[in-house]
Amino acid sequence: MNLELQKGSRSKALASIIIGIMVIFVFRLFYLQIIQHDYYVDIANVEQIKRLSIPAKRGLIYALDGSLPVPLVMNQTVFTVFADPQTTNNDSKIIDTIRRVAGGNARPDLQELLNMKESRYQILATRITRTQADMIKSENLSGIGFQEETQRVYPEGALASQALGFVDFSGVGRYGIEGGLDDRLTGVDGLLQSVTDISSVPLTIGTNNIDQPAVDGENIVLSIDRNIQSYAEKALSDGLTRTGATKGSVIVMDPQTGKVMAMANLPSYDQAKFFEVTDASLFNNATISVPYEPGSDIKTFIMATGIDKGVVTPDSTYENTGRIQVDDRIISNATQGHIGTISLQYAFNWSFNTAVVTVAQRLGDGSSITREARDTIYDYFHNKYRLGQLTDIELDGEVAGTIIPPTEADGNAVRYSNMTFGQGLDVTMVQVTAAFCSIANGGEYYKPTMLAGVVDKDGNYTPNQTTKLSTPVNISTSRLMREMTHTARSAFYTIVDKPGYYIGGKTGTSQVLRDGVYSDTETIGTYLGYGGSEDLSRYVIMVQVSGDGKSLSGPRDALPIFTDISNWMLNYLEIQPKG
Amino acid sequence: MFKVSIFEPKKTLAMFSESSNFSEITSIRRHRPDYQIVLFMGLLMLLGLVIMYAIGPQRANVLNNAYGSDYSDTYFFVKQVTSLIVALASFFAMAFIPYNFITKYAGKILLVAIGACLLLAISGWANLSFAQQTLGATRWFNLGPLGSLQPSEMLKFAVLLFTAGFLGAKAKQGKQNDFKETLVPIAILTVISLMFIVVIQKDLGTGVSLIGIVLSMLVISGLNKRNMLIILFATLILGTLFIISSPHRIDRVVTYLKGDDTSQSDAGSYHIEQAKLAIGSGGLFGVGVGNSVQSTGYLPEATNDSVFAIMGETFGFVGLVAILALFLALLMRLLKQMDHQVDIRLKLLIAGTFGWLGAHVILNVASMIGLIPLTGITLPLLSFGGTSMVFVTAALGLVFQLSHYSVHPSNLKEAQYENFGSRRGIGRSRHSGSRGYTRN
Repeated sequence: MNLELQKGSRSKALASIIIGIMVIFVFRLFYLQIIQHDYYVDIANVEQIKRLSIPAKRGLIYALDGSLPVPLVMNQTVFTVFADPQTTNNDSKIIDTIRRVAGGNARPDLQELLNMKESRYQILATRITRTQADMIKSENLSGIGFQEETQRVYPEGALASQALGFVDFSGVGRYGIEGGLDDRLTGVDGLLQSVTDISSVPLTIGTNNIDQPAVDGENIVLSIDRNIQSYAEKALSDGLTRTGATKGSVIVMDPQTGKVMAMANLPSYDQAKFFEVTDASLFNNATISVPYEPGSDIKTFIMATGIDKGVVTPDSTYENTGRIQVDDRIISNATQGHIGTISLQYAFNWSFNTAVVTVAQRLGDGSSITREARDTIYDYFHNKYRLGQLTDIELDGEVAGTIIPPTEADGNAVRYSNMTFGQGLDVTMVQVTAAFCSIANGGEYYKPTMLAGVVDKDGNYTPNQTTKLSTPVNISTSRLMREMTHTARSAFYTIVDKPGYYIGGKTGTSQVLRDGVYSDTETIGTYLGYGGSEDLSRYVIMVQVSGDGKSLSGPRDALPIFTDISNWMLNYLEIQPKG
Repeated sequence: MFKVSIFEPKKTLAMFSESSNFSEITSIRRHRPDYQIVLFMGLLMLLGLVIMYAIGPQRANVLNNAYGSDYSDTYFFVKQVTSLIVALASFFAMAFIPYNFITKYAGKILLVAIGACLLLAISGWANLSFAQQTLGATRWFNLGPLGSLQPSEMLKFAVLLFTAGFLGAKAKQGKQNDFKETLVPIAILTVISLMFIVVIQKDLGTGVSLIGIVLSMLVISGLNKRNMLIILFATLILGTLFIISSPHRIDRVVTYLKGDDTSQSDAGSYHIEQAKLAIGSGGLFGVGVGNSVQSTGYLPEATNDSVFAIMGETFGFVGLVAILALFLALLMRLLKQMDHQVDIRLKLLIAGTFGWLGAHVILNVASMIGLIPLTGITLPLLSFGGTSMVFVTAALGLVFQLSHYSVHPSNLKEAQYENFGSRRGIGRSRHSGSRGYTRN
């Protein structure tokens, strides 16, 4: 514009100065807004864009009550009360309030904690309820804060604690289902990435905002029936009291599906107070984590193998001398006598080792456990019955155990002869139970599972599919083995079973290896059996009792616990007696 | 003369009135005024209003969160509209009330302004409720529902009116370089005002703009180079004293000296870093109205001193250059009107207004873009805040009125020495052209 300022005047000079300054400003703005634009946008993004994690809710765990899911593990919001000792000013009121409201959840040394004036964070009480937190908040104490967290609560108390596991303070599932299905229970935290104001309140400004909602963890329905579980725990507890055993485990499985209906271990712990447990071995679930030598229970499996391969029948006979030689070893029966030609059924009733070694020999050339016999036994035990293999049950801490194959030097005839009566192999209770189900159900091996299904967020229950993995024995073998074990049980114990049902089983008393030598004074007592009608096995129960330095027997100590649960099951499952 | 004033206030007042008397103005015909002044001023006000509309809700939210106050979303917009109405009223009042009526009372206005500052200082010291305390300084009278009043803005206006009359009268006698009669009295008036503004009210920005007003007038009055250097030197010493007398001003200088290196950021550099961040992230065209994030609490004083940075974020480089161009155009109109005045005192009045507006714009923009240490000063016509706007528009209103009486430079020399009112044609304005109206 033509300003018509006078040439050489001071107004001209002022104009030049102001124009000069404006030019400098424009250069500076060009530098800041054009040249350094990206630099400042980067800084602005760091400052203005915040990523907030939206925590996913951990899935609930249900058990069954008959066919209905009932909650077994739930979530509860609890609060930690903390103080900033630099800003608290009324210590006595704080201490009074917290003691009064939080009670046993308050720390005992509140005054000392508040005296730590150099610290900014001292926990005064933990795990108080929302109501308690509101009561403390209403006192308007300065320097007191609250942290919200979620903890698990157990409406059924310590029921099935080793099967469930717990959630540790960092929110990670440990042991049991909580550990085994941690990923599914945890869900996926949501992400909120947004431009926010200075108080981190998200704004609608900006194009790079992400709003990814949290995917809550799955609500899982266990196949555990809380009534069966509860009864199994009681029966086991009674059994331990009666027998003096210090440890015991019970699995109740549905042979038609592989679903675990109860899984009990003693001694147990209270999941809600997992942090008070000093002996971490209490967290272990013995049924999946502690392989053992199964003893005479395994005779069922070698008999089934022999029958399935067609080399023996229950009525086949052999010459019992009370002992049998395999290579350089002599194997004896635990019970002496009964010398002469006896049937395998008869020998099975008495649990003679000579009988099952004979079956193994007949799988070979009839007089020795040949490589072919060992291959057959390994194929059945390891591949078909899936002993010594992880079952992949949905529990944390499963251990596979060991069955030595014939291809190894150790897989010789002596070892395989021992394996026929349950020594020289390490298996877990859940493996044995699942394998026995296949013998009790007509020959199908179902993958053992803890899961009955899932409950969606609307509360709809969807049962899951069962998985059939193999067919270890054919249906006639299964029928013969049910008869054989029924006969074996009935041979001595008919009186204890309710009449009109079809119950069978096999005792086991396994010696415990101590420093590589079989202990004379410590044995584990087991019982492995099924029950139901003659047409259909409805349950398989395996009981194990043990104790350091305790000599516990299958027939004497484990069998009565089986009988107790079995009779209760017949009633609970409302199975109609025959005739 | 100021020595006398302490003992004989009445006589001093009479002297003030006399020295600021504009009554002997030549009777140049009134013609079409310089509407560009209104245009540029109006555009700037409108931009300020747009920004208040856009960031007002966020600003209210930030303040409500920080201080538990209860500002509504529209508070800042409505308040700014009110301020603009008052400012426009003040502009048109000054544009239409005959200037010699206003200038006649320059001395009294000055006394009232000093009195108001004194009253504020005393009531602040006595903790009276109508003295509003902010950050340890008392800057405002709290007038309840009427809002608040910042007497330092009134003082600047009064100093402008008074010095224009006083210095102009001296300049007419060729005494503008006379220390005893001219420069020392002006220096005393300036220092007294600065004591109130900078020391008591702790408002360096307003103080610097006062110096801008006085210096501009001195320059235009025909100060010789030697005196100009002396005065500049004295101003520098005074400025240094003000800075070292206050820890937070030292901090700001230290922050400034650290430069653009954000790796050394600390609490002291937060404000300026956030301002640069807002401006820099605006880029070429800005993020658009309503999309400013820096105004959501990151940048302090988003509606007041930092509004330039928010505008940089919102409107980008293009917008800021346009804003600077508007200010430059307005300032140039002032210079032009100044040059086209006949009476030296009216020239000085416009020179002071130029200095006022110029000092605010330069200080505010330079501190927001990190060229000088951070100075708390408003961006006139754009910032939120009533008092500063009302008095700036008052001064602009006066200039607008004076633009009725401009004289084309080709006639200026004559006009200064002759009674050109008696000669036809001389009084024509170059603005009016043939269709311009003339009135007596």
